[in-house]
Amino acid sequence: MQRETSDEIEAAAARWAARFDRAPLSADDEERFVRWKAGDSRRLGAFMRLRAVALYSERAQALGPGFDPETFDLGTCGRGDHVPERSLSRRQLMWLGGSAIAACAVGTVAMERVLRDKTYSTHLGEVRVVTLEDGSVITLNTSSAIRVRFETDRRVVVLDEGEALFDVAKDRARPFIVEAGATAVRAVGTSFAVKRLAAAPVEVLVREGVVEVTSPAATQPTRLNANMRMVATGHGNRARPTSVAAEAVVRETAWQEGRIAFEGETLDNAAKVFERYSDTRIIIEDPSIGNEEITGLFAANDPVSFARAAAASLDLKATVGPGEVRLAR
Amino acid sequence: MSSREQERAISEPIRNFTATLVNRSHSIFTDPMQSRDERAIWLARNVLPHEASLRAWLTKRPVAGLEIDDIIQETYARLSTLASVEGIRDPRSYMFRTAHSVLVTFIRKSRVISIRAFAQFEEEALVDDEPGPEAIAIDRDELTRLGRAIAELPPRIREVFVLRRVEGLSQREVAERLGLSENTVEKHMGGGLRRLADFLANGGRVAHAASRDETRGEEGAHAARDKRRD
Repeated sequence: MQRETSDEIEAAAARWAARFDRAPLSADDEERFVRWKAGDSRRLGAFMRLRAVALYSERAQALGPGFDPETFDLGTCGRGDHVPERSLSRRQLMWLGGSAIAACAVGTVAMERVLRDKTYSTHLGEVRVVTLEDGSVITLNTSSAIRVRFETDRRVVVLDEGEALFDVAKDRARPFIVEAGATAVRAVGTSFAVKRLAAAPVEVLVREGVVEVTSPAATQPTRLNANMRMVATGHGNRARPTSVAAEAVVRETAWQEGRIAFEGETLDNAAKVFERYSDTRIIIEDPSIGNEEITGLFAANDPVSFARAAAASLDLKATVGPGEVRLAR
Repeated sequence: MSSREQERAISEPIRNFTATLVNRSHSIFTDPMQSRDERAIWLARNVLPHEASLRAWLTKRPVAGLEIDDIIQETYARLSTLASVEGIRDPRSYMFRTAHSVLVTFIRKSRVISIRAFAQFEEEALVDDEPGPEAIAIDRDELTRLGRAIAELPPRIREVFVLRRVEGLSQREVAERLGLSENTVEKHMGGGLRRLADFLANGGRVAHAASRDETRGEEGAHAARDKRRD
């Protein structure tokens, strides 16, 4: 099968990959490249593999100007470390497919002042925990995006879309402010969730502590204590905070662990909730089924298991198809 | 069927297959640079992360006369010449099946294995082994891993690579900054890419030949094949 070794091919492929990296190929070079490739079927493979690495390695720019290879160490990177996280700009994220990438650096790398917003985001079905430099922890739910901007007198996080849980470290000198659309949530030291989904009003749910919500809907800032929720309903309507049972608060933040909890939820609503976490659709064939209620704790990214559990519990039939699961009597 | 007829029955499709492969590599040549790069990016996102586990899978299925590196190169070649990758919903599985097909092709061609053993091989269930930790790596670790891979590069190559990739300088600018010729910078980039590929896709193993290149200062040293395996 081979006249030359894979190692020899690899070496030649590396020369070509480096040439491609240098500048667009001249017409002569293109011709030579074509002839080289045709010589052995493995050659194109070796080249494309290195070309893939070449393009992939472009994201190394995110390591930032402070990157010091001497002290860069994998072992000290991790959640809970109070080190600044660097991230790519939104444009770079789009090129790389939308998922946020962060690196951490230790040792002699200096902590740099933030000159622009740090962006974090999650794709469909992903839950992600982000630790900020002040020790605050933000948990991002599926398909969410935030921008973090710490200033001298305040800490600002913009929730562009989705849902996030904020465990805010106490810092009286710098209030923590979450901006979701026209709604702003201000906290000093507390735990609360903000939800901003398309075509729905912003929702704030407090687990611990006190927050103050400002929105166009309310003439004055509204204080929310633990186990309270507020929905910023449109202009002109006064948004009233409502009490929420402690268990309900726990249920509604079960997504932190990648789970969804229902308590007497209709199948219709449940199916809609699952849409946020997975491409697999739950299709309810019989409209009467949609009003049936379900209770339980389910894996957020597994609508099929949910459908099967619902079928077993409600005496229905679940049929799995490509990209969907159907519920019928 | 006589054994002669059997052999002919096996080798005929191989000839056709080889012809197809050659034609396909011509078709990729006529494609503009952009679609080639798009394919490379698709490989980077969907294939490269699984190469280490594919190598592990192949290690359990050794075939006399065919080395893992050969299979990997052939697999990438086939994935590069597909007309479209849009329909591939499970790239990892597709990659494994392609590699398996390379094996089967080789076995048919080499006629080394008896017909019975060959039939057994064909029937082997293509069960995807549990994805290893590499396959489930979360994105935040990827950049860290890349940083570590770069940190492990030999000093001169690393210098070039950091300026080129982390700082974003062109090869020409790197040459000016370091007082090197552009050809030298290009050579170092080649060495860097090779080592990076080994690190990212081979679980950190660096090819011996590559290390020897560094001391000899030339690419493409004809490394002894027996020295290449750890």
